[in-house]
Amino acid sequence: MGDGTRNPRAAQVEVDVGTGSVPSINAQGICKRFDANVALDNVDFAVCAGEIHAVVGENGAGKSTLIRILGGVHRPDRGNIFVAGRPCHFASPRDAIAAGIVTIPQELRLLPTLSIAENISLGHPPLRRFGPAAFVDRGSMRAAASAVLSQLDFHPDPDRSVASLSFAERQIVAIAKGLARECRVFILDEPMAALEHREVERLFAVLARMQARGTAVIYISHELEEVVAIADRCTVLRDGRVVAVRGRGAFSVSDLVAAMTGGMMDDATHAAAQSGDVLLAAKADGVNTVEARAGTILGFAGLLGSGADGILRRLFGLATPMTVDVGGRTHRFKNPANAIAAGIGMVPGERSLGLVMNLSVRENILLPNLDLLSRLGRFDTRAADRMVRELMELFDIRPRNPKLKAHALSGGNQQKVILAKWLARRIAVLLLQEPTQGIDVAAKAQIHALIREFVNGGGAALVNSTDLGELVRLCDAVCAVRRGRIVAAPRRGADLDETKLRSAIGG
Amino acid sequence: MIRPPKLAGQMPLVSLIVLCVVTALLTDRFLSPLNLANILVQSSIMAVIAMGMTFVIVGGGFDLSVGSTAALSGCVASMVMLEAGIAAGSLAGIVAGALVGLGNGLVIAFLNVNPFITTLGSMVLVRGVVFLITGGAPVSGETGLPAAFVAFGSDRLFGIHYLVWVPAILLAVLSVVMHATPYGRRVYATGGGREAAYLSGVPVRRVIASTYVWCGALAGIAGVMLAARLQSGQPTAGEFYELTAIAAVVLGGAALTGGEGTLYKSVIGVFIMIVLGNALNLLNVDSYWQRVAIGVVIIAAAAAERLRSVH
Repeated sequence: MGDGTRNPRAAQVEVDVGTGSVPSINAQGICKRFDANVALDNVDFAVCAGEIHAVVGENGAGKSTLIRILGGVHRPDRGNIFVAGRPCHFASPRDAIAAGIVTIPQELRLLPTLSIAENISLGHPPLRRFGPAAFVDRGSMRAAASAVLSQLDFHPDPDRSVASLSFAERQIVAIAKGLARECRVFILDEPMAALEHREVERLFAVLARMQARGTAVIYISHELEEVVAIADRCTVLRDGRVVAVRGRGAFSVSDLVAAMTGGMMDDATHAAAQSGDVLLAAKADGVNTVEARAGTILGFAGLLGSGADGILRRLFGLATPMTVDVGGRTHRFKNPANAIAAGIGMVPGERSLGLVMNLSVRENILLPNLDLLSRLGRFDTRAADRMVRELMELFDIRPRNPKLKAHALSGGNQQKVILAKWLARRIAVLLLQEPTQGIDVAAKAQIHALIREFVNGGGAALVNSTDLGELVRLCDAVCAVRRGRIVAAPRRGADLDETKLRSAIGG
Repeated sequence: MIRPPKLAGQMPLVSLIVLCVVTALLTDRFLSPLNLANILVQSSIMAVIAMGMTFVIVGGGFDLSVGSTAALSGCVASMVMLEAGIAAGSLAGIVAGALVGLGNGLVIAFLNVNPFITTLGSMVLVRGVVFLITGGAPVSGETGLPAAFVAFGSDRLFGIHYLVWVPAILLAVLSVVMHATPYGRRVYATGGGREAAYLSGVPVRRVIASTYVWCGALAGIAGVMLAARLQSGQPTAGEFYELTAIAAVVLGGAALTGGEGTLYKSVIGVFIMIVLGNALNLLNVDSYWQRVAIGVVIIAAAAAERLRSVH
């Protein structure tokens, strides 16, 4: 543990005296192991009515395990949970929900073939009774869904199937599903990952209303600026232990980072890069030509439905093909294989699409590179092993076990594997969607450094992100996209800043 | 609990050994050379089918048509053989199987029809075709199939039946295809995560279609072997082979969700099925109870696998 660590017990006592009331939820001495890994080690955690309590920590610090225990998904090995002062033992998420604890999980648990309204009322549908028979009241189900969605200013047809929604829209529906329940404790695990400024603001307004009604809100996020802005209290976890509990005003972003990492961090911003040859050029919106030059990172910013992410998908052959000049030749990519052959790689926004989760790290790194490693139809196992070992070293992928299945890695390490598999190919252009979504600060800095290193080595990167701050920090220029058109392209060192970018995209 | 990783993946082999030891202790006929040779021959044809099934299941699919395909291949091989010789006949049988697989694969991969429904349909369709071309009667000609072909179905090389050499050689060759070629790794990736594989440049539709071609061609080889053993093309042959093959692949630890499975473990799964039937026979268990027992074993094995992967 670092020097700046407080005694966790002392911090807990200090806060409990400060609030004085019975906490809505109180977990004491929680321990949880998974096989040999200690996920939580004697954790105390309490949230009072009307309080927004943030939980931060690096990937693997135990945040998700803690909320899964509070939500009844896992049972603690030791320790007790009290809801409004009464001891509770949750055998399943159903028990936790019955006790008034509602969780919005990080991975969306929506049923894609059902409608928006059906998803929102799942498990507690409004009923209409005729004597002994009960039927689902579809009219009030739709009305209830529309009402809760309009709190978030989202107005879709409630009969639409969830499968037809975008990832960010599905996230809004998942949040609405939680809001639709009466609850004492409301837990959000990384709720903003795919949301834009506008939606985030709206969600904050809803949380403030819940807070006023006396709901206890537990809020897990990697976005420390958000945490500082809305949390009344913040618990910092590191390696399964509580290392700090601070009240509002007693923590800043840099305090939190120091507590999370034990005091090691770098956030080097860089000077505008020297731009080199044009590696990729395309009429991305049918009018304006987008040029990706060697040594530069080009961003794409836009609101939900603006088409900013569609540009990257089309460049990779995933949507309507467009004419793309790469490496001095003109292409029309009909599928990803064509784009890859021309020297383009893609890091998709959902990590489950970037990796085959039940294959090993080694298999995933080799997958797009099988053609490079094959000799007479067989592939060169020794060269493959060497390549995987070097890349895992270079990208600091932990644990350093190439046989581990991808789903066993933390989000940050998964993202490094995705980068590694493309950089192994010596591709010219890397397309990235939401490259650091749901990744902790330390890993985020590493991912940014790796992208920067890639372009410094002569590549070009195109990045689409809903996190405008990230684009401004990372990119040399950012294209603001509105209704499929590039309306502005501010450059670093000239007119690139977050406020202007936000107004350019219409947020 | 931390297990030695080597043992954790070897449940099928451990189960087979336990099964053999228990049977050997309970009966004195199990270890007789005649019985062991019998088990090997019985397993050989099913092992070839199960290997094809492994390709399909690892690729994320499913094939119910292998039994009918084996019957078709046996009959086509016998008919062609009577006219044009052993080599042409065997080849025709295997090609017929591959064509059934190609049909399945194209419909499943390019028309996105559910594999269960597609191969359920082709199972019935192909069986109908077999009855149409044979008129429902066994194919063996006036004087029977060529003597050399019949000998292939019963004779031995170095003390081991020719029929047993076939899966042994196929297992060696196909294991290389699945584990040491780019193609094999793409099959695993496609089954493990179709969308992620597509985004990594894998031509997923072609890969999926190809697994059904393998499965059909291997069912074709099994059909030719079956014709040699039965000394005729039997239109009713191969019924319920698909179920035994799928059960064997699952007993071998493959996931029906795709992306997991190993050829040699599927072959061990076949041995478990055959040895279990053999043991129940030697113990004079009533044949109705045999079915009950085999059903219980399949479900228990799948459940044990699930429990192990959850914890």
